[in-house]
Amino acid sequence: MTEAIRTRELTKDYGAGRGLFDLDLEVHAGEVFGFLGPNGAGKTTTIRQLMGLAFPTRGSAAIFDLDCHRQAVEVKRHVGYVPGEPPQFGGLRGREIIAYLGAMAGGVDRARVEALCDRLQLDVSRRYREYSTGNKKKLLLVIAFMRQPRLLILDEPTSGLDPLNQQTFNTMVLEARRDGATVFLSSHVLSEVEHVCDRVGIIRAGRLANVASLEELHEIRLHRVEIEFGGEPPLDAIRKADGVDDVTVEGQRVHCVVRGSFEPLMQAVAGAHVVNLTSHEPSLEDTFLEFYSGSGKDAVPASC
Amino acid sequence: MLRYAFRLHRWGIIGYGLVALIDAYVNTTSFQQVAGSTPAARAAFARSMSALATQISYILGPPFHLDTIDGYAQWRAFGPLALVVLIWAIAAAAGAVRGDEERQLVDYWLAAGISRARLVASRLAAFGLAALVVAAACWLGYVLGALPYETPDLGGAAGKALGLWLLMLSLFAVCYLVAQLVSTTRAAQTVGAVVVVVLYLFDVAARSNHSLDWLSWVSPFKWYDATDSLAPGGHLDGAGLALSAGLVIVTGVLAALAFARRDVRAGLLQRRAREARARDATPSPLLAWPVARLLYRQRWVLVGWMAVTIVFAAYFAGSAHAIVDSVSGVPGLRDLLVRGAGGDPYRAFIAAYWFGFVQLLLAGFAIHLVAGWASDDTEGILTSVLSMPVPRWVVVAERAAAALLGVALVVAVGSLATAAAAAAIGVSLDAATLFRASWPLIPYALTYAAVGGVFASYFPRAAIGVLGVVAFLGYLDYELVPLLKLPQWVSYFSAQFLYGTPSLTDVYWTGLWVMVAITVAGFGAATLLMRRREVGA
Repeated sequence: MTEAIRTRELTKDYGAGRGLFDLDLEVHAGEVFGFLGPNGAGKTTTIRQLMGLAFPTRGSAAIFDLDCHRQAVEVKRHVGYVPGEPPQFGGLRGREIIAYLGAMAGGVDRARVEALCDRLQLDVSRRYREYSTGNKKKLLLVIAFMRQPRLLILDEPTSGLDPLNQQTFNTMVLEARRDGATVFLSSHVLSEVEHVCDRVGIIRAGRLANVASLEELHEIRLHRVEIEFGGEPPLDAIRKADGVDDVTVEGQRVHCVVRGSFEPLMQAVAGAHVVNLTSHEPSLEDTFLEFYSGSGKDAVPASC
Repeated sequence: MLRYAFRLHRWGIIGYGLVALIDAYVNTTSFQQVAGSTPAARAAFARSMSALATQISYILGPPFHLDTIDGYAQWRAFGPLALVVLIWAIAAAAGAVRGDEERQLVDYWLAAGISRARLVASRLAAFGLAALVVAAACWLGYVLGALPYETPDLGGAAGKALGLWLLMLSLFAVCYLVAQLVSTTRAAQTVGAVVVVVLYLFDVAARSNHSLDWLSWVSPFKWYDATDSLAPGGHLDGAGLALSAGLVIVTGVLAALAFARRDVRAGLLQRRAREARARDATPSPLLAWPVARLLYRQRWVLVGWMAVTIVFAAYFAGSAHAIVDSVSGVPGLRDLLVRGAGGDPYRAFIAAYWFGFVQLLLAGFAIHLVAGWASDDTEGILTSVLSMPVPRWVVVAERAAAALLGVALVVAVGSLATAAAAAAIGVSLDAATLFRASWPLIPYALTYAAVGGVFASYFPRAAIGVLGVVAFLGYLDYELVPLLKLPQWVSYFSAQFLYGTPSLTDVYWTGLWVMVAITVAGFGAATLLMRRREVGA
């Protein structure tokens, strides 16, 4: 499979244990790859090296087999980029910024720009300093998508966008993938990317913790279960059931966490008088947090 | 809050404190060497310095008792610091208002329950403490410089240092108020610079044309000049000091009121969006062209400096009669003017005075351009540019080309305005002289731009401070080399020296080539540094 992004032992050592260490990552052409981690994990550091804005302490990064450092200009002919921190264009109007940056990229397709602005409901006649944070983000999305690049590198692209525009953004990402583009997007909110990503890489403290497909992540999802019994709860059987943890009792109510299949829990309560059973499927964020807490550290299968 | 705000000034304190210390020490300690030790030698020295003082009154205030170490230190050590601290006050005030807000520090402080009034007071107090350190450094430099030769006048120097402290604080307060009115760091720096430079020029205009004395009394620079406590027989000017203190209080209160009436990250003079007209606007085609796109983005800076240059060119050339006639009673100066420019003192005045003053304007313009480049970096615009397929060398090359064009435009309009204003009062400036004096100003200004470009490429946050210090040291160099009889090569570090006096003599070709070499080397180094540095770090 062709790789859109490939890093080998990519390291950016800021000292005192901060930075990015030995990142080996492959993002396949045509996939949407979510790069997830909490603040300070190394997401932006990775992206800045991919964009040739920062240089690795050691290791290498390549985009479409072009070295991100030595062939940075050539790389950017193929890349649309949304920075994590919006720049401050001051008094320039949105339209002027598009013309300014678009000319550097060899010109823009006006019809496409207008279509993107319409979709995102962005008024490009306004001055940049009059834009809200969300509108600044929309302008950056227009600039990244307007050239129909082969690769989109998006650093927390949905922060500041309202839910409606987040949906529009998701559609734009899926359309870009349909048209053959690769999308690399970072986020610290799993729910923002779970609808669009094919695979997810999780980075923690500067190291890639794991890479998994969305299906694999779903397999290790947690379920918070509450069972109300008509009589004495079968606590011993519940506690012994595979994949059942954190069992607590409140009178005749039992709370527990189920990982993976419900089958062992169902067998454990089979002979009891179950009055009510509710199951809350936690979001991927909870799974993510659980993963970070260490208990599920080895639960995600590697597929990188 | 106060401690944190004071900490934000630490690099300014170190940089400007060192400049103040070195300036005061070098100028004071050099007196014995340049003036001689006998009364006769010192009297002769004072006469020649007085003639020089009239010629460079756009930089230094009026001299008193130049035959004494204290009088000389007051003029040469404390005088030029007014120009140096001006840069610091503008940059620090813009950073203290707009910079803090752009970094969202103000959100944090306000959310923590700090009142807006307290925030303003803390910022003013923090700069006051920082300025106190710099004023004390100047005082110390004088004491250390004078000690080996005479008993230093501790009280007199303290009085002058007090004036310097109040000058810094009042300039900061004025710029702090200006920064409340606009909404970006760049605008705060630009408008603050215009206001402060105009206040400075009010004082300068009155130094050479006493009919404008009334104008200078609104200028904190005049109030600073008025305290001459270090020179023998001088005094602490209570009115000037009180006016400075009053200005700090009034502008501080106005700033607090403005801050209370505006949104965070917005200016008090926020314009309402003009949707109907703007919606139909199409982007300028200039944005599609290299170099032109950078000039377009800096167009208001360019227009502003062209306007300022035209105004002052017209003023200096137009008031040649009045000024020359008013100083014609000074024999040395009259002879000097009559000898220059083929015996026409008015032409000689314009040639010497305007082409000296315009160097100051062009240095300011170059620093302003560099400030824009540095802001591009710190405001994330460079990151956006480099996310496009643009080689890094193109960024530096565009800066150099835009600077060349911009400087050429400012020089051209200044020279044309000079010629027109001179012609209007019946003074004919021949085209050859005008051209000979004008075009070397281009490499002169580019020298500053190139040096600033090096720092803007590698360490943008420090670019303006460092360039300001470099410009000041260049000025010191220009003044001290002849006085201390240092080897001529030392002069090559001064752009003023390298420019020479082409309006009165001929183009100083050696200097010209050195300026060209510095420009080429500077932008070359900027290119290399830009390629090697990380952007947005």
